[in-house]
Amino acid sequence: MTPNFAVVGIQTPTWRCPRLWLPVFLLWIPVILHSPLIFLVLVAVAIAARVTIWKLIAIVWGILSGLPGTHVYVHAEGSQVLVRIL
Amino acid sequence: MNENRRQILEMLAAGKVTAEEADRLIAAIEDQPPATNGVRSQDAPTKNKAKYLRVLVESHEKDGPTTVNVRVPMQLLYAGVRLASLIPAKAHNQLDEALSKHGVPLTLSQIKPENLEELIDHLEDLTVDVDAKEDNTKVRVFCE
Repeated sequence: MTPNFAVVGIQTPTWRCPRLWLPVFLLWIPVILHSPLIFLVLVAVAIAARVTIWKLIAIVWGILSGLPGTHVYVHAEGSQVLVRIL
Repeated sequence: MNENRRQILEMLAAGKVTAEEADRLIAAIEDQPPATNGVRSQDAPTKNKAKYLRVLVESHEKDGPTTVNVRVPMQLLYAGVRLASLIPAKAHNQLDEALSKHGVPLTLSQIKPENLEELIDHLEDLTVDVDAKEDNTKVRVFCE
């Protein structure tokens, strides 16, 4: 399953940003609109890397599907950064 | 008679394997848990496959504590390894050379998803504690 939301939180000792829930699924709209261009780019990459277009699509899809569940939290010197992909 | 055992004995009879090899093969299948026609016994422990790779770093410095908590889905790691297959062979060689120059004797072309799976199996619960002179830093890498 591809990512639906990304949660981003940034906090510094002097400033705090509320946690942002970014609707990543909305990116499908520009992706679909630009799908012919994206397909051409994928074909060019597949030719350059000497792999089949299907294998390339499988790899890209694998990366997209693997993203949900990613969690990165860093807290240092009073600052915090949180990125979660749901 | 067990099907595997019968096959080994047939191979021994046909001269395809020596008696010592057949003995080792039989010993190997005896070590395996008995198969029950594809149905897992309720008593047999089920090994849950790890879903995430976790990296936890805790450090206490003068400026305050530093915490890093990273969780990477294993699926993403596998996809990343497959992505490495897109790197041209020439670039592989250059990368290998550059890595070995920096003391990392790694052959990228040999890293395959099955190798990664093997590595992850051995990474079940690895804890690395690094104690600096003044700072107390703890690094933990494990799968969950």
